[in-house]
Amino acid sequence: MVYEALDFYDLDSQLTDEEIMVRDMVRGWVDAEVLPKIEKACSEGVFPDEWRVALGEMGVLGAPLEGYGCPGLSYVAYGVICRELERGDSGLRSFASVQGSLAMYPIWDFGSEEQKQKYLPGMASGDLIGCFGLTEPDYGSNPGDMITKAEDKGDHFLLNGAKMWITNGTISDLAVVWAKLDGVIRGFIVETGDEGYSAPEMTGKYSLKASVTSELVFQDCKIPKDRILPGVKGLKGPFSCLNNARFGISWGALGAAQACFSSAKEYSLSRIQFDHPIASYQLVQNKLAWMLREITKGQLLAFELGRKKDNGSWIPEHISLAKMNNVDIALEIAREARDIHGANGILDEYCIMRHMANLESVKTYEGTHDIHNLILGRHITGIQSFTRSL
Amino acid sequence: MVEIAVLLKQVPDTNAKIVVVNGRVDESAIASWVTSPYDEYAFEAALQHTEAAGGSITAITLGPARADKVLKDAAALGVTKLVRIWQDDWQDLDSNQVQSALANAVTAAGADLVYCGKQSADRNQGSTGPGIAEILGAACITEVSESDSAGSYLRPTASGSERVTVSSPAVVTFTKTQNELRRPNVRGIMMAKRAQIEVVGGDVSASQVNFNGHSSPAQKPPGKTYEGSDSVPEVVGLLRDEAKVL
Ligand SMILES: Cc1cc2nc3c(=O)[nH]c(=O)nc-3n(C[C@H](O)[C@H](O)[C@H](O)COP(=O)(O)OP(=O)(O)OC[C@H]3O[C@@H](n4cnc5c(N)ncnc54)[C@H](O)[C@@H]3O)c2cc1C
Repeated sequence: MVYEALDFYDLDSQLTDEEIMVRDMVRGWVDAEVLPKIEKACSEGVFPDEWRVALGEMGVLGAPLEGYGCPGLSYVAYGVICRELERGDSGLRSFASVQGSLAMYPIWDFGSEEQKQKYLPGMASGDLIGCFGLTEPDYGSNPGDMITKAEDKGDHFLLNGAKMWITNGTISDLAVVWAKLDGVIRGFIVETGDEGYSAPEMTGKYSLKASVTSELVFQDCKIPKDRILPGVKGLKGPFSCLNNARFGISWGALGAAQACFSSAKEYSLSRIQFDHPIASYQLVQNKLAWMLREITKGQLLAFELGRKKDNGSWIPEHISLAKMNNVDIALEIAREARDIHGANGILDEYCIMRHMANLESVKTYEGTHDIHNLILGRHITGIQSFTRSL
Repeated sequence: MVEIAVLLKQVPDTNAKIVVVNGRVDESAIASWVTSPYDEYAFEAALQHTEAAGGSITAITLGPARADKVLKDAAALGVTKLVRIWQDDWQDLDSNQVQSALANAVTAAGADLVYCGKQSADRNQGSTGPGIAEILGAACITEVSESDSAGSYLRPTASGSERVTVSSPAVVTFTKTQNELRRPNVRGIMMAKRAQIEVVGGDVSASQVNFNGHSSPAQKPPGKTYEGSDSVPEVVGLLRDEAKVL
């Protein structure tokens, strides 16, 4: 079956020639190299190394960053890349998001010149993998209270603590780790092989099975003084990275939704019950029309947000809205698509159940659905309701 | 060092729905255009040839402005010499006209070798490569499935295969090979942004072929349905004698 991307308002016609070429390059690669292999990767719980190599060769890692071997594409192009990758699998998009927005971006924005030169070219080419350590076992939605700490020991820093749920952890060459130095959150670059550092893989996931998720453990982990990111202090550091990653997710989730829609449409046209294709029944058409409606609205949000990222007129709340909405509708679309596929919808022959399970993670990471509601609530009312004295 | 002219034709996507309106294919209804698949094999062979032997490629297409896309795609793979042949008053060029316009561009490019598909995915005439060879007085090798930079080519046939070498000038037309056209990368795509396409017209003699109209394939007759085990012998008989699939 040839993939026909739903684009009801023909929004892709607003892309530049180069953006279309980037889209077609990634889409063609996903068709040829990802879709035939994704189920095996999921059942084995691995992120195939050849995908790392290919993403590096295509040159899409760190898409919107400029200089130091990075692609220097527009944010819209970055969004399109995420959408096409996630049409394949959210785990694949997660790899690219973490590498580009969570590991390369903080080095690019807050790193020293030496740090940029040392790490960014290798990360853009896929030779070096990065991860991002913010979440801790006891601090998820409120990372500000993290307990991982760094101490200045004169000629080195000493890190102690643990991070959890870290994408790419075990397979990464370097980790951008957020820890408190004298009570202030700072970013540190920890390299695999640093004394006192380990990154054991977490197992047993039903979701994002083709993505590596790990713990990061720091036990008197000694790192040189030049590994601190000099350019940022406080939660602003990790949050600026999250803004970029969340932007990518708002596009990516649409890719998963489009894949589910496309499969549901095909299936409903070919599945005969009560002598007619199920697509000819009003209840099924209502579901398809609802999917089309939500995908189209999500696309309009994503495109407009992309333009705002490119012209600098965005605020973080714009990103919260798009991340929250587009993941939410993608998950609902996956569920409706599962229903339209009947029993077949639970098989690995179709992409539906995999996307649905993946999107459960996507709904939680990078700010849970409700945390984004709270961000918008604060924006509307001026009153924060994340916490209160009980 | 070798100079290769690669001929790339833009055709409707092989999955595109073709609609005929008033006896002519409605181009505006074609959602996506692509480079003709056999031309892509020729292009990949040319890329590998110049990588191994040194030299350069000129990508040539004949078509209206939309055909710039195939040249931009070629630019994203590193080709810098890009030529589109077109004149706005051209319509329904016949094979002779196409061949002579392309042959002129090949000569202007100073190419030793011409690589192209054995036929285009839309017209399927298969006349372009041999016709250009005739005009240029060049050797012609058709339906090549394997090539190398030493100028050796493999032609598969139903009863075996034939390996030939050729001295330039030569026109080589490609069938499917083992080597799919490589994917571009972002760096190449950004280079393509700056690519300059040279648009040339040309004198072509009057067309000898009059275009009378396109038509869609005839509707398939409805299938026959057989029910029950009694009909098995009849169905087996039809499959054997009529459909000749048993
Ligand atoms: C597959 C996967 C990969 C991940 N990758 C990374 C990574 O690479 N790096 C990283 O640092 N982290 C990563 N995470 C962690 C992720 O960011 C956290 O899971 C997320 O921030 C939520 O934290 P939590 O799981 O501790 O949930 P909690 O914060 O415990 O939330 C549980 C529930 O409580 C709700 N809740 C919390 N606070 C409030 C409140 N104030 N008001 C109302 N409701 C509230 C939440 O919305 C949620 O429904 C990953 C997670 C997953 C699942």
